[in-house]
Amino acid sequence: MKLSAIQTNSPVNDSDTNPSLSPSVALNVSQLSWCIDGKTILSNINFTLPTGQMLGLIGPNGAGKSSLLRCLYRFVRPTQGKITLFDQDIERLSPKAFACRVAVVQQDTPHYFDLTTEQLVSMGLTPHKGMFDTNSSCDIERIAKALEKVGLSHKMHQQYEHLSGGEKQRALIARAIVQQPQLLILDEPTNHLDVRYQIQILELVRSLGISVIASIHDLNLASALCDSLLLIHNGEVSAMGTPTEVLTEARIGDVFGVCAQVSLHPQHKKPLISYFYGYHHVDHGLNERGEGG
Amino acid sequence: MTPGSKQYFISYLGRIVTPLTRQQLMLLVLGIITLITPIAATSFGAANISFTDVIQVFINKATNLTQANGMTERIVMELRLPRILLAFVAGAGLSLAGSVLQTVTRNPLADPYLFGISSGASFGAVVMLTLFTGSGFFDNTGMAAHSGLFSGSGALSGLLWFSLPLGAFIGGSLSVLIVLALSGLGLNSQVERMLLSGVATSFMFGALTSLLLYFASPQATASVLFWSLGSFAKASWSLLVLPTLVIGASLFIILGMKRQIMALQAGDETAHTLGVNVPKLRLNMLLLCSLITAILVATCGGIGFVGLMIPHTVRMLFPGRQPILLTALVGGLFMVWIDVLARCLLGNQELPVGIITAAIGSMFFLLILRKRRVMP
Repeated sequence: MKLSAIQTNSPVNDSDTNPSLSPSVALNVSQLSWCIDGKTILSNINFTLPTGQMLGLIGPNGAGKSSLLRCLYRFVRPTQGKITLFDQDIERLSPKAFACRVAVVQQDTPHYFDLTTEQLVSMGLTPHKGMFDTNSSCDIERIAKALEKVGLSHKMHQQYEHLSGGEKQRALIARAIVQQPQLLILDEPTNHLDVRYQIQILELVRSLGISVIASIHDLNLASALCDSLLLIHNGEVSAMGTPTEVLTEARIGDVFGVCAQVSLHPQHKKPLISYFYGYHHVDHGLNERGEGG
Repeated sequence: MTPGSKQYFISYLGRIVTPLTRQQLMLLVLGIITLITPIAATSFGAANISFTDVIQVFINKATNLTQANGMTERIVMELRLPRILLAFVAGAGLSLAGSVLQTVTRNPLADPYLFGISSGASFGAVVMLTLFTGSGFFDNTGMAAHSGLFSGSGALSGLLWFSLPLGAFIGGSLSVLIVLALSGLGLNSQVERMLLSGVATSFMFGALTSLLLYFASPQATASVLFWSLGSFAKASWSLLVLPTLVIGASLFIILGMKRQIMALQAGDETAHTLGVNVPKLRLNMLLLCSLITAILVATCGGIGFVGLMIPHTVRMLFPGRQPILLTALVGGLFMVWIDVLARCLLGNQELPVGIITAAIGSMFFLLILRKRRVMP
């Protein structure tokens, strides 16, 4: 039942036949570096994201994924390098103008003390509103539509705190939808979620039809749902390209330090990674696998 | 049943008046209290003035027809009404400042008193007070200290009228600057650091205030002590002007920044991604709260815990709202009735308002802590 649902809803198969609507580049990062306290966190990062595509940011823990995203949404200022958003330098944009173009869904949700789901979602209007503007009927409709899209209409009057992990994540995505961004940045949106929600959330994000950058830990999920992947290792770009180009056995062994076999996924024909186990005696195990593979 | 009989009572009332929701019922009750408070609160006090007398005075004033009982009218119009209005403005201002500080620092236990602003403002005011009454002592042999702040000799009271709020404001701003310098201004500044340095600053100014008082004359010490416990007894129409203007303007600004303040509730990083200039907004709100508190400490002394408990009470009564106006209204009404208690509890003597609010406030504090422990 679940499988059939995935097959009918899945935009994976037709994503390749659906070229991006405009030829322009959504995001361009050139020679980005960030050092703090003499420690280099990110160095010389270059990549571009075509409009309407979904880029998966992958890499081991501490590789600099979250730092890179924070540079992109201007929470930290890079030491050097240039980031342009639709050919505009992001440094030049006011906080408000920037927030009208870029929405962010963060990894962990902080503690809110008194908000309903509807109020949380309506926060997405913040950058679009002036000092004494109230929510128009159009805004209210937009909030209702966003809640419907993430399947939370029935929970709109409930306290956000009382939602489950997956519902919280979906509520945050609804807030991002209300923000009407041209670029959506997600920092590990699938953390703490069960496998069904992992797929559901990423497919929901894909269906929005805007440019997306998401950091994802699960390589199979990234392979299945992203147009292209950016592999980061020790603050540097290790590889960039389609999932097939990036996810090779050698590279996974190199960067993540695990042995894996890459085959074709029966449904979407992108890389399917099967990991090998037994790392108690790390050196021994690796050698054995290396010889065997 | 566990939340208490009050909730049960309200739901029982709700069943009688079926079309009203619980919140609408609360609003209705609040509206009725708001309407009767000015008249009812005016009729309490040392002089025996009845409810109907007050209404009569109001009608006379409004229509300006007859000159009824001159004495009653003077007591109502020149003593009690400004006093009630000052209490209302003070309560509204303190609740507003507490509510904003709790949101901006994302700490449910933040209030102007805990944040060091209040003690900084007190220190500034006490410096001014000892400076001016100190010089006054040598001229007037203690007259100035005992005859109160604003009814001393003409030039002195005029000077105090300006210098006291000014001193309080400088002291309050100084404590804010110290807190900000200690906690750092950047986006990554920790709210915890801010609160801890607020507590430290509060203690430091408290010590300095005590030191000043230790070396001051007994009369000055007594008047400073009485002043710092808070009272609306000095209220007059002219004294009302500054607090009303400041708190009215602050309310206007806070209502205008409502969305940004609400976004800050979701964390600095989230607020940043929603287009809020977090350090700037937080700094501005801190300065605004410092202004409100400083002006109020200067006019009515230190009234603690109102800023802490009113926002929480309103949040509990009206969950799922962001009731800035309601918080101000409830805070104002609460303070008016606390002042009535202060006037009437001890027969002929007046109790300092600060004592009553602190007593009720600390009980409330313990209640909240208990509730928080029950809820995981």
